[in-house]
Amino acid sequence: MKTGPALEVKGLSIKFGDFTAVDDVSFSVARGEIFGFLGANGAGKTTAIRTLCGLLVPSSGSALVGGLDFSDGGKSIKKIVGYMSQKFTLYNDLTVGENLDFAAGLRKMEPRYAAKRRRELFELIGFDRPLSTMVASLPGGVKQELALASAMLHDPEIVFLDEPTSGVSPGSRARFWALIHKITGLGKTVIVTTHYMDEAEQCGRIALMRAGRLIALGSPEELKRGAFPGPMTELDFKGAEAGEFISALKKAPGLLEFSPHGMRWHAAFRDQAALSAALAGLPVSASAGLIKPSLEDVFIRLIEGAER
Amino acid sequence: MKRTLKAFIRKEFAQALRDPRMKLILFVMPMIQMAVFGLALSSEIRNIKLAAVYSPGDVAAAGLTRRFISSGWFVPADPGRARDPSGLIVSGKADAVLVFPVEGFARAAARGRGMVQLLVDATSVTRARSVEAYARNIFAAHAAADAGLEASSPPFGFDVRIIYNPEMESPMFMVPGVMGMIVCLVTIILTSMSLTRERETGTFETIVSAPLENHEILLGKTIPYVVLGLANAALVIAAGFLLFGVPVKGQLWQLFVASLAFVITTVAIGTLISTISKNQQQAMMGGFIFLFPAVLMSGIMYPVENMPVLLKPAVYLNPLYYFTSLLRNIMLKGGDPAAFISNLSALFLMAVSAASLAYARFRQTLD
Repeated sequence: MKTGPALEVKGLSIKFGDFTAVDDVSFSVARGEIFGFLGANGAGKTTAIRTLCGLLVPSSGSALVGGLDFSDGGKSIKKIVGYMSQKFTLYNDLTVGENLDFAAGLRKMEPRYAAKRRRELFELIGFDRPLSTMVASLPGGVKQELALASAMLHDPEIVFLDEPTSGVSPGSRARFWALIHKITGLGKTVIVTTHYMDEAEQCGRIALMRAGRLIALGSPEELKRGAFPGPMTELDFKGAEAGEFISALKKAPGLLEFSPHGMRWHAAFRDQAALSAALAGLPVSASAGLIKPSLEDVFIRLIEGAER
Repeated sequence: MKRTLKAFIRKEFAQALRDPRMKLILFVMPMIQMAVFGLALSSEIRNIKLAAVYSPGDVAAAGLTRRFISSGWFVPADPGRARDPSGLIVSGKADAVLVFPVEGFARAAARGRGMVQLLVDATSVTRARSVEAYARNIFAAHAAADAGLEASSPPFGFDVRIIYNPEMESPMFMVPGVMGMIVCLVTIILTSMSLTRERETGTFETIVSAPLENHEILLGKTIPYVVLGLANAALVIAAGFLLFGVPVKGQLWQLFVASLAFVITTVAIGTLISTISKNQQQAMMGGFIFLFPAVLMSGIMYPVENMPVLLKPAVYLNPLYYFTSLLRNIMLKGGDPAAFISNLSALFLMAVSAASLAYARFRQTLD
């Protein structure tokens, strides 16, 4: 087992011409961690991941991946990482066996070692169909698991998963996340991007990105505490006309965040006193209950709040 | 390197040979094109209605006319009561009319004035050209057979093509051109689409996430298509032999070397197209933007000599022109070494420049 952080990123920027996709980002990831990137489309998650996989070279700043730098253009980094892109990376018109053989060939793996790895990974993902199965005929969830196995064939230390569960059923998503936990259990580091808040909750730490910048970093609990130091309440007006109360509430001192969630509203305050004062005029028909902020609240506060 | 190449070759073959559309493009389409183009583009014309006007009892004239009919291209016209030669053409009763000297063909020839007039309906220029050429051939044969009769030089130009194709058998001449065209089409389209397909589906990300050098990816993606292109060339050559009886008078190794140089060139051009195309539609369009001028300016359908001066440089930059010349040279002419070497060197130069250009343009970057 190697020591030192899996990722050590300092002031990383990636530019395409005039466009800065990743802007002065710094963080480090410990070995065995599940590290999540959260952010809207175009926030720079995919660019950051591609760079850390050795597919792009940083424009400025430094990044050590498994202790390796980019002095050889990312070649040595590619050897120790596995990358599963958000596009489907297997060939639908090849069989399972042919796909994995090709992946092994790309990595110049010795055939007997590749076969051994294949058996290990099939056991890990619980794949028991014949090798001659056409990939096109597999269900979406199984395809993603197989793509993961293919990305891990060369036994990488660090596995990068770019939106691995987009477009698969909720059941398959749960299965895939169980798999991610198994992988980190084996000592691998997993870097994952996602759009799903429930998946983000399962990450050890989350990096929140907006417009190429890292705007928050920490465990889900830390992010919630950081964004909402005071109490949060959920208001339900039960269909009653509450326009007046809402406009008054929006001006209440100590209000941190006020946003609609379906038929209900979430209001966060600086402290208990601010909450009590603001809710004094609550219509009788309405109800208010203290809730724990979710990552979705954090996301809205930090990302959409910054855009307002 | 060897493992990666092997993996690429096995993968590309598995994909190409499994996909029914690919199989169609690779094996069925060339056969259909060979048959259709070989026949349709053929400028051979038969059943030309021939009338002859000569004095009664002119044996020599009758003999020459018989030779025309027995050539197989001409059939006797039914002149009815018409006697005016140009009237026969105008009324459409005859496509061509031989007009012999009134004093008698043999007597006129003996006096060195054996002029025979040939009237040809030139409504269709191609048809008229063929008739001219046939007549010229028959005259020459007649003169050779009957040394006593001096054939008068007909007042029309000499057709260079007759050298390679003395029987004026047009499929013989067309088929090598069509073969070149088919090999060009298949390799350009398949190669240019194959790399863009990887980019479009996302599998390109798998490839570039492996620690590979540019040349490893390029060789892996192109060698299978060079092999498929060569198989295609062999297929159309065999079809040319079986369907049209086109011989291979030269050496087989000459055919192989010429095909290899050509296929490498077109595969490199296809790769070049894929480096500037974002998706498969663009690659397809790019392929056709190359293919149409390449086919039109190759000498397959229209003689290169007749091209406008401004377009001539494009002809000499056209790999298909050299390949067609090579195929005609090897298959019909027996592979004359001087022509073989000059055309092959030109093609080789193109293969090297196209491949270097494709290599220089290729990037492992995404999107």
